[in-house]
Amino acid sequence: MKTIQHTSTLCYYDGPQVFEARDDIGGHYVAVMVEPENEQDRYLVKGVAPERLRQFRCGTLDLRSLLVEMGDQEWYLTVPESDLRQPLSLIPQNTPLRESEFLPDEGFVLHDYPTENRVLTEARRRNNLVLEITADPPEAAEEHRIRVDTFVGLLDHLQKTVKYAYRAALRDLPDSERDRINSTDAHLMDVVVPAAAGSFRVVLEAARMPDLFGNGELPRALQLIGELFENAANPQESSETLRKYRGHLAGSYVKFLNFLMQHKTGLRYSWAGPQFTKPNHSAILEPEVAPLVEALSKISDLSSESVTLVGDFVKVDRDAGGWGLNTEEGRKSGKVAEGGPSLNGLEVGKRYTFFCVEEIEEVTGTGKESCKLYLKKYEPE
Amino acid sequence: MSYREPLPPECPPDEAEEIKTTRDVFRLVRTNPPTEKDFRSQRAEKPNRDFGDVSECLARGLSVFAEKCAAARVKNGARLKDHLVCRVTLTSGAGKIQQTLRKDHHTWWPLKAFDILANCDVESP
Repeated sequence: MKTIQHTSTLCYYDGPQVFEARDDIGGHYVAVMVEPENEQDRYLVKGVAPERLRQFRCGTLDLRSLLVEMGDQEWYLTVPESDLRQPLSLIPQNTPLRESEFLPDEGFVLHDYPTENRVLTEARRRNNLVLEITADPPEAAEEHRIRVDTFVGLLDHLQKTVKYAYRAALRDLPDSERDRINSTDAHLMDVVVPAAAGSFRVVLEAARMPDLFGNGELPRALQLIGELFENAANPQESSETLRKYRGHLAGSYVKFLNFLMQHKTGLRYSWAGPQFTKPNHSAILEPEVAPLVEALSKISDLSSESVTLVGDFVKVDRDAGGWGLNTEEGRKSGKVAEGGPSLNGLEVGKRYTFFCVEEIEEVTGTGKESCKLYLKKYEPE
Repeated sequence: MSYREPLPPECPPDEAEEIKTTRDVFRLVRTNPPTEKDFRSQRAEKPNRDFGDVSECLARGLSVFAEKCAAARVKNGARLKDHLVCRVTLTSGAGKIQQTLRKDHHTWWPLKAFDILANCDVESP
């Protein structure tokens, strides 16, 4: 008799209601709990295509459609003799599946994701902040596989978003606190497990170890990114949140979402520090990505950011409105914004505070960013 | 604290939240009005069953959802399609609750003194 082995529970309610399973030769199955018989749990079992199972897992396919689209024949019942860790024997059924009373109603769509605590264990083991990301691109449907450009792009977008989230988080701190933190490389992460088992999972940790008390800088960025992802299912609320982070962070987040949309995947992530009692989970499901991208693309000026610079005035091109300022972070240059102040009163060598808007533009063809500073107002120091 | 069902040691876990403020959760019930039978744990229903990877602590709690839409989605599954969505208003003294296994799923460990049926309101036909 054919048997299958439970691999993961997809819906739990007083016990596994829907789970996926594999047979001895790697075939994919989905099992759905039906009415018990003689007080024994029973499951309807049907072989399914890996890609369609992936779509069900990602929330883009309804359970009933998944079950019936492979045909009415060859479906089974199984009655677990003990727990679901044991092989499950399949009992073939003769009634066409569509006529079966066991078929679920339309509208059963997965809309959540597993929240496991393994990231917490990993953070404690490494004594460092650990971030685990999971993606489900189409190529990962059948086996543990991901395209190189998807993998590289995923990590690149993630690191950029963390970088800008960290910068945005620091901006809200008092000056004294900001000065205390050596923030040069605090946003950096290292990949420590490039391909963990399961859906395509990658484990990263903070490149910089935490202090003696287990505190690091990355949580500032990850909390902020969690705020962005929190309302992923609600584009209106998400737009409101993103307006607060115009500029680099908003730009990198939108690019990240565009990337996910192009690669037909959602994203789940969990993170925890060594002292945490529970992990943080966030996700955007694949069906949520496109509506969110559409809503965010309607916001104008999302990629401009207010920037305050303090430094010595070093260069002026009064006709073209060009200026240069030597700041602690190096020389910055830009132009006067439309309707901005005249540069006539400025003296080279004197110290000023410049209130600017930084416009972030993508260089056509290369995908690289170019930032331009526009002076709105200045004050002598 | 005395729970509705006997619990194993260290259950509920430290991470579970003690319910101190009023909140609604949603559970699927068989009848309107619901009965005590609708609020029996898996362990109470199947005293001798080995639940495998599901811990004994989880098996002795009740599955609930924080959002009505999550309960309504699960109701479309084959086993639960005849069930009704019931709003349960949890108040201080209702017990402990924790998000478990999946994002939408919570486990509730009710205290014995909490009158569940008095705080139930069936919302769907």
